[in-house]
Amino acid sequence: MIWETVIGLETHVQLSTKTKLFSRASTAFGESPNTNVNLIDCGLPGVLPSVNKEAFYKAIRFGMAVDAQINQTSIFDRKNYFYADLPKGYQITQMDLPIVLGGSIEIAIDNSVKTINITRAHLEEDAGKSIHDQFDGYSAIDLNRAGTPLLEIVSEPEISNAKEAVAYMKVMHQLVTYLDVSDGNMAQGSLRCDANVSIRKKGDSELGTRTEIKNINSFKFIEKAINYEIKRQIKILENGKKVVQETRLYDSAKDETRPMRSKEFANDYRYFPEPDLLPVVISNQEMQDIKDNFPELPKDKEARYEKDFKLSSYDSRILASSKSMADFFEDAAKKTKNFSLLSNWMIGEISAFLNKEAIEINESQLIPNNIAMLINRIDDQTISGKIGKSIFEEMCSTGESPDQIIESQGLRQLSDDGEIEKLIDAVIEDHSKQVAAYLDGKEKLFGFFVGQVMKLTEGKANPETVNKILKEKLKK
Amino acid sequence: MDQETVRTICYLARLEIDHKKSEKIQKDLETIIELIGSLQSTDTTNVEPLYSPLEMTALKHEDVEKSDNKKEKFLENAAASNEDYFLVPRVVE
Amino acid sequence: MSIQFKSIVELRAMLDKKSISTPELTQESLRLAKKYKELNCFVTMNEEMGPKKASAIELDKKTTSLISGIPLAQKDLFSTEGLRTTCSSKILENFIPPYTATAVEKLEDAGSITIGKTNMDEFAMGSSNETSYFGNVHNPWKKGYVPGGSSGGSAAAVAAGIVPAATGTDTGGSIRQPAAHCGITGLKPTYGRISRWGMIAFASSLDQAGPLARTAEDCAILLNEMAGHDLKDTTSLDVKVPDYRENIEKPINQLKIGIIKEFNLSELDSEVQSRFQDSKDLYEKLGAEFVEVSLPNISASVPTYYSIAPAECSSNLSRFDGVRFGHRAENTEDLNDLYIKSRSEGFGDEVKRRILIGTYALSAGYYDAYYKKAQQVRRLIKNDFDNVFETVDLLMTPTSPNTAFAFGSKGAQNPVELYLEDLFTISSNLAGLPAISIPHGQINSLPVGLQLIGNFLREDQLLNAAHVFQENSDFHLMQPTMENFL
Repeated sequence: MIWETVIGLETHVQLSTKTKLFSRASTAFGESPNTNVNLIDCGLPGVLPSVNKEAFYKAIRFGMAVDAQINQTSIFDRKNYFYADLPKGYQITQMDLPIVLGGSIEIAIDNSVKTINITRAHLEEDAGKSIHDQFDGYSAIDLNRAGTPLLEIVSEPEISNAKEAVAYMKVMHQLVTYLDVSDGNMAQGSLRCDANVSIRKKGDSELGTRTEIKNINSFKFIEKAINYEIKRQIKILENGKKVVQETRLYDSAKDETRPMRSKEFANDYRYFPEPDLLPVVISNQEMQDIKDNFPELPKDKEARYEKDFKLSSYDSRILASSKSMADFFEDAAKKTKNFSLLSNWMIGEISAFLNKEAIEINESQLIPNNIAMLINRIDDQTISGKIGKSIFEEMCSTGESPDQIIESQGLRQLSDDGEIEKLIDAVIEDHSKQVAAYLDGKEKLFGFFVGQVMKLTEGKANPETVNKILKEKLKK
Repeated sequence: MDQETVRTICYLARLEIDHKKSEKIQKDLETIIELIGSLQSTDTTNVEPLYSPLEMTALKHEDVEKSDNKKEKFLENAAASNEDYFLVPRVVE
Repeated sequence: MSIQFKSIVELRAMLDKKSISTPELTQESLRLAKKYKELNCFVTMNEEMGPKKASAIELDKKTTSLISGIPLAQKDLFSTEGLRTTCSSKILENFIPPYTATAVEKLEDAGSITIGKTNMDEFAMGSSNETSYFGNVHNPWKKGYVPGGSSGGSAAAVAAGIVPAATGTDTGGSIRQPAAHCGITGLKPTYGRISRWGMIAFASSLDQAGPLARTAEDCAILLNEMAGHDLKDTTSLDVKVPDYRENIEKPINQLKIGIIKEFNLSELDSEVQSRFQDSKDLYEKLGAEFVEVSLPNISASVPTYYSIAPAECSSNLSRFDGVRFGHRAENTEDLNDLYIKSRSEGFGDEVKRRILIGTYALSAGYYDAYYKKAQQVRRLIKNDFDNVFETVDLLMTPTSPNTAFAFGSKGAQNPVELYLEDLFTISSNLAGLPAISIPHGQINSLPVGLQLIGNFLREDQLLNAAHVFQENSDFHLMQPTMENFL
């Protein structure tokens, strides 16, 4: 039996507005519990919502970037259900007339490009947070997050496997960070993914029963969760049984999905238009302002890097692929002229380090000025490239500047001709046997002598100078 | 209105009806539903629903912080809380 | 000097002439409240902050506002910071809000003294003030009779002369109908005229705050202070507030008043008809012209309202879950159990009924047939009003088909019986239009009310017509003897 996987993704993007969707409480992360909570967010009797225009502008920017239809008049609805971190007993969301309709993105898979269509994107408020294991016998509710604006982006069920799902999410991540719509921080919950997975026989036009895997918060887990779920569903179907439509959670420790505690009655959300909010209209002038102030997208950045920094298209694409990398690069490029060396370091050493630590560049100790300084010191031969690498390691862990490290560890490259000549003389004297062998024709021993000089100088001798002088000395 | 429906809407509303009153409540609900069901006879073809009597659109505010947080007072009003959180019986997901 | 039964205008004169001081006035009002506590029109008295404020006002010589130092009662549906707010429900029995409703704040900022929070139907659901957790309110005109609802406590407090005026809220007639049953004046302004911030929501697209007072002029004075745009309520109108008192005495000749054909007044109680006819005659004498008008969909008002209001309230009352405030049941097994027990213990029967109906009307499979259908009929009703106001200035109806009735005599067997009492008032809430009730007679010693409905934002016309009527009659000057309440 050949099985086909059908996946649709719902992405919840926390918008990077300063304040919440319906109140003017701050959205700053990590504050003391229940302090970013205004009267409205607490759902007290008698309070009323009002609309944050910036949330709309960010949603519209997203819509424009994916060529979607923008509904300049959109409506909010109430989604009614009970949960401890939902203060009003309903969530204000958009059901019938969302702000964004349609659109599409492209994902790169195995050297080809696949289009994934977007069904819609709408604004809604986030719920608070429940902490279940901190207080004995109680769950604790923190409403700081309640009311934060979310953009829920729904894809068509056109994704065929876990790899495509990850590619889709990566494009989403890139887009929302580039557009300054969200900080896209999956670990902090700014970007969350629910995956709807179903299996059908290849060739079938009808969709199989789907399950929803909720709140997956890393690219790695998206891939694992989906793969597990596909295997699980196929096994059920091969045994002649039926897949149960349910909501499941991914357990990363066990690498499996399990059903959420089942509810006795299916939830009927009883959507109806929010009577405390009138229809929201975005004027043509507002639309034009958004268009006029549209941020630079990756494609445009790549072209600019090729032109202004004279980088290859390959290098430009890599640098532009992540907004945080691109921003870092551009900041560093203000303080150095060797763009190609800077670019090599970013794509090489720096990326390798970030991948190893699984962090973004703006989560590391590195700052653009320091990297620029490192590039400059290598460029002006204060240090060798090799020493540069060890200085870089130090920078990664301490955040100190290259100059600070060079001073404190005395790493300044030895370039003084006289000094080097003296050391070379000493090496030649101490290794007369090898010198004889070299002069006899064993040319490979040249590297041995270089190595000995480096040993004496703890690697600080300028390799070019060593080579030059050594060659001369050995000619005799 | 059958028993099953009553049970469902009671659960959706998180209400339980006293056993002694349940028959009367069910009868009351049926009477009210009959009342509101009488609207079926009004022709509303092509009529847009009127969700608010105001022919107005929403006011949008600037993305500028203005806190009216009163953390202590909020937590004080709760039946169970500590100095940081509202507390409810432990939820198992 | 007695302050009982005095209007705002009269009390202002007394304060200005220094025949009474502000603290004395406040104390008198509190004393009257205590004296007539059998009326049960107050849930909470403001015995500490009220007198304190009165003293402060007395010391501050420069009073510019008409209502500075005037004692008012606030319906317990308005959030008042530091002062218990219950909505006459067990679920909020001990709730102390951390903020004040805009409508009340504006009155208090203008110097009025809140002497207490008035009893009401639980969460404003009712037409007789018989659903309150704190017990029924008595009609000052007849003990054991309802004052009307849901603003029964406010109406009774004004009718009994304890305060010159009070605030109320009107979702289907809850200011006008108790005003009628208690023989006082009550105004429901245009939807959006007064901010709903802090007014605990029952049905968001229908609720509106308003004044209850002894005269139309006093209502105008309060409306001046209460009205206005509020950024915290984006459904409040951003329209300048005129001085509603300014042209209140304008003669009303050539005022065109419509009588609604579909209300079939000839089927009403003969005495009610008789009072209505007398008032029509008086208005004609004063220069108004009457014409019959048709609002073809108006008979659908009651079923329309009872689809929409419960639906909105079922959602608005979901926040009462025992988690962050309000009553929480003890010994619950889990979160769901906490919700179910807290809400079932905390809400009364009428509230439960409406939540269930509302939940039903919004539920999958029924939404189109009930909620959406009702909102469509609502548009038809509003269109009817828009049409009619092209040819008339005001509409006139009785406020209520009957006068006040004895406790428990209506609605006990069949709730719809009580719903039909709202027949004449409900449609103006659906259309968002302003309406006023003024006393225009008595039947068996119980007051009867006359209702005028105005066009969008034409409170000025309503108050003018009401005031001129009051200048030429003395029904509004009648006072209950209060002998059964001592």
